[in-house]
Amino acid sequence: MNPKLKDPGIILLVVLVAVSAFVLIWWPTEIYLMGISLAGWLMFFTYFIWFALAVAYVLWIEKVEKEKESD
Amino acid sequence: MQLMETVILAIYLVGMTLMGIYFTKRAHSSESDYWTAGKKINTFVGAFALFAALASSSSLMGAVGSGVSLGIPFLFAYGFGAVAILPFTMFLVSGQIRRSGVSTLPEFFKQRYGNSVQIIAVAIVVVGMTFYMVPQLTASGLIGSYVLGIDYTTAVIVLGIGFTLYAALGGMWAITYTDLIQGALILVGMLVLSIIILTQHNGFASLIQEALTVTPTFGDITQPWMSYFGLFLAFLWFGIVSPSAVMRNFASRDARTARRSALGACLLYLIIFIFGFIIAAGGASLGIAETLDNQDMIFISVIETYMSPLLAGIMFAGLLAAIMSSADAMLLAISAGVARDIYKEYIKKDATEKQVTRLGFIIMVVASMIGILIAIEPPQLIAIMVGWVGGGLLSAFGFPLVLGIWWKRANTAGALAGMLGGGLTFLLLVITKPFALVSEPIIAAPVSLILVIVVSLMTPPPSEEMKNQVDRYHGDLINTKRKVS
Repeated sequence: MNPKLKDPGIILLVVLVAVSAFVLIWWPTEIYLMGISLAGWLMFFTYFIWFALAVAYVLWIEKVEKEKESD
Repeated sequence: MQLMETVILAIYLVGMTLMGIYFTKRAHSSESDYWTAGKKINTFVGAFALFAALASSSSLMGAVGSGVSLGIPFLFAYGFGAVAILPFTMFLVSGQIRRSGVSTLPEFFKQRYGNSVQIIAVAIVVVGMTFYMVPQLTASGLIGSYVLGIDYTTAVIVLGIGFTLYAALGGMWAITYTDLIQGALILVGMLVLSIIILTQHNGFASLIQEALTVTPTFGDITQPWMSYFGLFLAFLWFGIVSPSAVMRNFASRDARTARRSALGACLLYLIIFIFGFIIAAGGASLGIAETLDNQDMIFISVIETYMSPLLAGIMFAGLLAAIMSSADAMLLAISAGVARDIYKEYIKKDATEKQVTRLGFIIMVVASMIGILIAIEPPQLIAIMVGWVGGGLLSAFGFPLVLGIWWKRANTAGALAGMLGGGLTFLLLVITKPFALVSEPIIAAPVSLILVIVVSLMTPPPSEEMKNQVDRYHGDLINTKRKVS
């Protein structure tokens, strides 16, 4: 398998694209929570997912670098 | 004239100018220092600097204004893209670009695709960033005219000249260190404003209810789906295609610091959009959107309504700070483009560092003059103008850059076709307006993608040397995997 496809960046990118696709395809404009469209809330909740992905990336890359150093 | 606000703004601007002068000596000591602060910036300063450079007047004034006038989901769509900017940039390009050793976007295009692509890229950067000065100047003009009680045109000219001189004198050193203060000001100012709003409305739930009572469309999706999608795309890609943000990344000491700075900036962005939500709800509960001539004034009205003059003055300083740091980073990208990437590269190869830095200064002044002239009669709302810049840069640069890093077969002809084809398609869509507002990149970016792939495949592949170079972009990682497996 192409090593580039195992790059943490590419794997996490797939997650990011999947989450955005889910939000934009479902797009539930007619369901409301607290008077605000659920489509809006879904976009809001992604903020936290994006940050979690950034944390995952930084930790993952640092682990890979550490493994490399110990080799 | 708002006296207290004026005094605070004046103190702030004088402070920033003194800081600029202090760093001037340091900045002019070497070319590397001037452009990238000598690559010595640490994680903490780097995170605030990245954040302040990305959090332009649009992410504050434009987002809050649009959240009130177009419904809060429109503001959420901003954050949907904007909070993802830094993770998306890290996943796709930042490590690789850093490993390539270049320090501007056009330099990368030169290394990967050659001179022709670099020159086109510089031209697009210069035009794009000059236009990007317009919404920054518009926003500063609105704040200035409100606070100082002078007319909008005078405010644009005075503030425009003020922060140009400051940026031109200090280079990246001054910009990065004042960004630490500016980033903190924005954050604390918006925190305080959010707390005041929440307290006055007895908590979050009742704030939302009051906003909905006064502005019944506050929670609705009011625009076509394509507008939200287009806005998301334009912001998501902003870190990758914005020449000023990429340059920030290089001002960090090492790759680890650069990543951690990006992580910190992502968190700051997340927090700012939560505050933005509360502030927009506060604005919607005032029912002022209909009474204002300019929707971009909503944020200013919210500040005046909820805050005391002292706090409002600090908040205006924070807003002006956000605008100033974004504009400074843009000016630096413009002058780096012309002075380093064109003048030193092609016109006078033996130019001394002093000559290059001086030319950079002149270019900054010229670019901001052009920006000021356009901003006197701004063509659109701030939010839309910023959406255009992001969308235009994405349409031209996005795929030639990403495929250049991830696809060895991408070649010069493909990159040229993608850059020009994507850029021109975008311009055509902006002029003819066949679709919803800010949805242009939904069409123009895929056109660019297809052109890069098809034209690359139809023309001879890049040299073996170039293919090895692409491997080196991913160097450390691939070598590690091979060693491990």
